[in-house]
Amino acid sequence: MSATLWVLLALGLLVFFWAVGAYNRLVRLKNAIANAFGQIDVQLKRRYDLIPNLVEVARKYLAHEAQTLEAVVAARNQAKAAEQTAAGSPLNAGALGALSGAEQVLGGALGRLFAVVEAYPDLKADQTMRELSEELSSTENRIGFARQAYNDNVLEFNDAAAQFPTLIVARLFNFQPQSMLESTTSDVERQAVKVAF
Amino acid sequence: MRFFEFQRDARGETRKLLLAFVLTVLLLVLAINAALALAWGLTWGFWIPGDMSYPRHYFAVNTAVVLLFVLGGWWVETSRLASGGGQRLAEQMGARPAQPSGDFDEHRFSNIVDEMSISSGMKRPLAMVVACDQGINAFAAGWDEDDAVVAVTRGALEHLTREELQGLVAHEFSHIGEGDTRLNMRLIGMVFGLEMLYRMGQQLVEPDEKDRRMALALIGLAIMVAGWLGWLAGHALQAAVSRQREYLADARAVQWTRSRDGLGGVLRKIMSQQREGVVSRRVGSMVQHMLLVANESGAVAHWLDSHPTLEQRIHRIYGRAMGPLPLTRDDEPPLASEAPTPPASNPADDPGWTLI
Repeated sequence: MSATLWVLLALGLLVFFWAVGAYNRLVRLKNAIANAFGQIDVQLKRRYDLIPNLVEVARKYLAHEAQTLEAVVAARNQAKAAEQTAAGSPLNAGALGALSGAEQVLGGALGRLFAVVEAYPDLKADQTMRELSEELSSTENRIGFARQAYNDNVLEFNDAAAQFPTLIVARLFNFQPQSMLESTTSDVERQAVKVAF
Repeated sequence: MRFFEFQRDARGETRKLLLAFVLTVLLLVLAINAALALAWGLTWGFWIPGDMSYPRHYFAVNTAVVLLFVLGGWWVETSRLASGGGQRLAEQMGARPAQPSGDFDEHRFSNIVDEMSISSGMKRPLAMVVACDQGINAFAAGWDEDDAVVAVTRGALEHLTREELQGLVAHEFSHIGEGDTRLNMRLIGMVFGLEMLYRMGQQLVEPDEKDRRMALALIGLAIMVAGWLGWLAGHALQAAVSRQREYLADARAVQWTRSRDGLGGVLRKIMSQQREGVVSRRVGSMVQHMLLVANESGAVAHWLDSHPTLEQRIHRIYGRAMGPLPLTRDDEPPLASEAPTPPASNPADDPGWTLI
């Protein structure tokens, strides 16, 4: 075989190995996204499980605040249902949007509950309550970080899939850019908060 | 803080420094060979008539011995830290596992370690506390993610807000994820090997009981000089690598917490403590690189420091200089860090109130 043929063969092999590496990298990054969503799911479940305990501890002290407590329970049940739908299809934007909405409502209800708790020093000082608040606040953080990690993974995948020359492999094997989780879909919430006395 | 950009910078700098380290070792091998050739020539070649031939395999043996010292140092440190070494090392430094069921602060700390492991996508390390240390500090030890330990001092648990503790833990997570403990220990091992080379040369120069120096003294001197230069260069490069990894860890911490005030607050509070003269427990110089902030009293020269100064790190995080932060801890998120803090007080000037 002539020298040119050997050189071409060598170049061909190089390109092939590079393409395999690029494809594997894209697969790895895409799987990381699904994994990150799973993580959000785990933390949401944790929060759904913690909330009934919180409500029970608070109920003893908050006899006159039944409405606030009921709002929390209702919001929690709705969010849990939405989460189960979304868990079935982690990369479906519609299901994620519905979950996001239900989460907003739950966040609001919890916020009102904690505001009420501030007015009851006995409840606030209760050791169990303190532990539970810490757990809940930690869970809120975990959910936030899980969403952040999801978005970071999406960013990394989108970067890899859009940059040349990995772009070629991505187009060839149909790796679509993924969308990030948005913090809120409501225009009302995006407006600046007005403080009124 | 442009943390992604800073991370790229720190990684690029590290690569360059490691390349320089390899070149230093190669240059050292060449220098030792040249020096020993000269020494041999001066000792034997000029007195004995006839051809000035070197012993067989002279250069090969010289090269092998130098590499043995350097790579031997690497190997010693590697085996010290090998599996299970992380927790052992942490215990040697005075840490014990955190007890979340016992103490609210340690419970909070344990939760924060969980939160950071989610944010970074890493496996959850063992959480440990250095119980009798009132200074604010922390370290990460361990070979890799499976063997990792994050330890903080009691002072950190008591003086830091939740957000700041998050920043602190995220910084340590970065060290684990990037394998910085491993890298630093290997570099220190190699530098130790270079020091041993220098000491060997020193030994050869020392006169024995009968004050007899001639035979090996020049060879010893050659090894001493080359060894000392190699040691200095190696030490400076290792310190530079350690500093870049600190910058990288700071940038990762801000990425994972998306908060400048977390890690920034910690560094500013440490600045407060240092001005008051409170420092965390001293640990050996071999493990200084593992701490968040080094507590050795000023190295010989700033380019031998294992950590950048607090001012430099705070400047990188905030984009400008910031003053120290008082050690008060509120359980709510801290106020805007741009609020002016009361200046170090001169009783005569102090009006007794502060306008914020």
